[in-house]
Amino acid sequence: MSVNAAVLAAIAPLMAFFVTLILTRKRPWLSAGISVGAVSISTVCAVFLLFRHWEMTEPVLYTSTWMVSGAISIPLGIMLDPLSLLMLVIVGGICLLVQIYSIGYMEGDPGFSRYFTFMSLFAWAMITMTISPTMLQLYVFWELVGLSSYLLIGFWYEKFSAGQAGKKAFVMTRLGDVAFLIGILLVLVHAGNLNIVEINSLGPSETMSPLIITLAVLLIFGGIIGKSAQFPLLTWLPDAMEGPTPVSALLHSATMVAAGVFLFARLFPFFSLTPTAMALCLAIGTVSMLLASTMAMVSRDIKQVWAYSTISQLGYMIMGLAAGGYVAGVFHLTTHAVFKALLFLCSGVFIHALHTNDMFDIAKSSGRRMKIPVICLIIAGAALAGLPPFSGFFSKELILAKLAALDNPIWLIFALAGVFLTAYYTFRLIFIILFPKPGPSDADSTSIAADEAERHDVKPHPIRQTMATPLIILAAITLVLGFFEDPVERFLSATVTESLSASGMHHGWPAFMALGLSVAGVLLALIEFGLPKSRQIGFAERMPFVYNLFSKRWYIDHVYRYFIDYVIDRGVAKICARNDKKVIDKSIDTFCDGIVESSRFLSFLHAGMIQYRLIVVFATLFFLSLYLLLG
Amino acid sequence: MIVPFSHVMILSGIVFLMGVFCAVARRNLIMILLGLEIMLNAASIAFVGGSLHFHLMEGQVFALFIIAAAAAEVSVGLALFVCVYRRTGSLDPGIGE
Amino acid sequence: MTLYAIIFYLLAALIIISTGIAITRRNMVHVVIYLVFSFFGTAMLFYLLGAPLLALLQIIIYAGAVMVLFLFIIMMLRVEAPEISMFPFSQWVPAAALCAASVVLGLLLLIPESQLGKPLETAIATPSDFGFYLFKRHWLTIELVSILLLVALVGAFHLGKSKLSAKSEDPS
Repeated sequence: MSVNAAVLAAIAPLMAFFVTLILTRKRPWLSAGISVGAVSISTVCAVFLLFRHWEMTEPVLYTSTWMVSGAISIPLGIMLDPLSLLMLVIVGGICLLVQIYSIGYMEGDPGFSRYFTFMSLFAWAMITMTISPTMLQLYVFWELVGLSSYLLIGFWYEKFSAGQAGKKAFVMTRLGDVAFLIGILLVLVHAGNLNIVEINSLGPSETMSPLIITLAVLLIFGGIIGKSAQFPLLTWLPDAMEGPTPVSALLHSATMVAAGVFLFARLFPFFSLTPTAMALCLAIGTVSMLLASTMAMVSRDIKQVWAYSTISQLGYMIMGLAAGGYVAGVFHLTTHAVFKALLFLCSGVFIHALHTNDMFDIAKSSGRRMKIPVICLIIAGAALAGLPPFSGFFSKELILAKLAALDNPIWLIFALAGVFLTAYYTFRLIFIILFPKPGPSDADSTSIAADEAERHDVKPHPIRQTMATPLIILAAITLVLGFFEDPVERFLSATVTESLSASGMHHGWPAFMALGLSVAGVLLALIEFGLPKSRQIGFAERMPFVYNLFSKRWYIDHVYRYFIDYVIDRGVAKICARNDKKVIDKSIDTFCDGIVESSRFLSFLHAGMIQYRLIVVFATLFFLSLYLLLG
Repeated sequence: MIVPFSHVMILSGIVFLMGVFCAVARRNLIMILLGLEIMLNAASIAFVGGSLHFHLMEGQVFALFIIAAAAAEVSVGLALFVCVYRRTGSLDPGIGE
Repeated sequence: MTLYAIIFYLLAALIIISTGIAITRRNMVHVVIYLVFSFFGTAMLFYLLGAPLLALLQIIIYAGAVMVLFLFIIMMLRVEAPEISMFPFSQWVPAAALCAASVVLGLLLLIPESQLGKPLETAIATPSDFGFYLFKRHWLTIELVSILLLVALVGAFHLGKSKLSAKSEDPS
């Protein structure tokens, strides 16, 4: 029963993908209906499975052999444990809501049908990935997620920048995926199989040396870095905002980027075998969190802000997981999925109605008059900033408690700084939209889209029902999800050994400090952007050097460009080109010339001279008889 | 008491190799055909010798069929040579080179 | 050495020598004449080996009809122009190598075979025995061979005729 439901959940979007791909290209509404219906089936199955297995103690495992090579057998199947069930519900639910929202958002787009085809592909890949019982199956669908995200980010491929962004996302995640694949192979070679349950059962520590485990963990973490856009591969995510806004909501809240964190949680017992690697993960999470927060402080593009905040929140999750907080990380993943999807969808409403991404233009076009999105935006923003009683507060507080339990206080300090910055940039955006004023930002506003919008005096569209409903549902979930902390914690820790799941202090001093810092951040934002006399210039923007640093993304892209130009282009590529020309081409040329020459030499055999053929016939006859008589 | 069977086979082999040499080495289409005739002749010598050695009539029957096949082959082959000669004016097998 | 053996060696010498002379003649007519000698020798060898009917057929068909056909074609085409070189180097060297290798191979194979050293008993298959055997056991093959000869006849006729008619239709 459970297995059937899980298979149905995984297969339905695949069917929808093929049907919409092949049959219903010309009927957009039918495609949308099929796609939404399929993902609804998946969601219903996921919820059903979650309730059915709420009291589970043992993971449900169903596998059948896919390929056998010597002693290595690679199964294909389904694994249902608390983590995958929770992830299944998140993925299914967010996919469903985003697809419903997309019906309104994408209406009239020429690629409407194609959009839902890609959406179904994405849903299939993501759902199957969450229930994978082996690393290899997980990797296959991990790559499929990468492919479908490439298709979705570059959905408006007529736009050059969208195509570039899709390529960038694909290539940069691929960098991490290569490391991930090598890590998988390392585990396969040393542990003998790839079953997640067995890898997690502390078995590898007997067959693998600590050094190998550390290496494997670091390589797999490379995949996480790529997928979850952590430092140093974080620059693809802001660019990926070129896709349609629902795509950003889907990819960058609950699913694609969360896949990295999901992998971390999936292999959490394996990762915790090596404190060294965990320390490095912690450092990388911290660095990404801080870098992304600072970038978000100066951005004017509403979607970019959420993109940076996604990176920073993912950094938080990785910090929580790396600090040993399995439940903390996964719970933050859950709450973040909900409120970040809500944030993106709210921004999508503004963008759809006002045709601009710039937050000052949205403010000037009186975006605040749209009641539902503004209220939802405030709720989600408060959750992001970690204000009680919204869900973000609870999950963030769990992570902070874990960090406070570490010996080194520096991680906690960084995390608290991150909390402050998060609250600041979130409410900076909210106040800018809420309190528009003809400030100095008016003068240097160069957005062409905004000018056009003013010239034509565009009336905001009335918000569509299909777009409003998901917003309200998500806002409601954001409000109440925080209070489910304890049940979720019990559910998640049911199958994990006790030492790993023991959570730290509850509502200790870090929680109050975090609350204080969030309020401080909100107040600073209020002073700088909210009050009637404020000039709407942030403290970071007053310092040109810092502003440049932040708005140029800490020059990470420049470093990449420089690296590619000078090291790869002029160094490695040149050597490779020389190798190609002088060694490979030359050897092939020589070989070919040799073939041509020898063929010319041998061509007398069939050049029409009958007697040469006779010679060949007799020689063959001779050798045949030699073989028959002597052999 | 005639001779050992191996002597008959040696004779047949020598004649066959002469036929091979004639067919391969002479630069003339008719000589190729004559070489084939010599080879067939050698084969029928071997068959008749074998027929006596094994006391089986089949060898002689086969020699008869060889003669028939040779007659058919010669008639078609010579007709073809006539065509070739009319077209190219020569009987050189390497004319195309 | 019996009389039969002496006759056999004489016939073998006749066959080998006349064939050897034949394949080295430049004049095609001489070649055919020497080959007729060789085929006569073969026919007599058949007689010696107990196949009188075959010996007769060899003389009638081979030495008679086939060789006359060759002569006829040679004279019709008047291939008097001598070949540029009778044995081109690129042909006779591989041919000679092949023949030498075959001789070596054949000798190597024949030397260890001791049972072949036993002299053959004389025996004879009279024409009537042979004919009965042939038409009792191989009547179908005979029919097939006759069809083959018919086809060869038609083919040769067609090859000769179509070219002639094509030539006569050619206005130039």
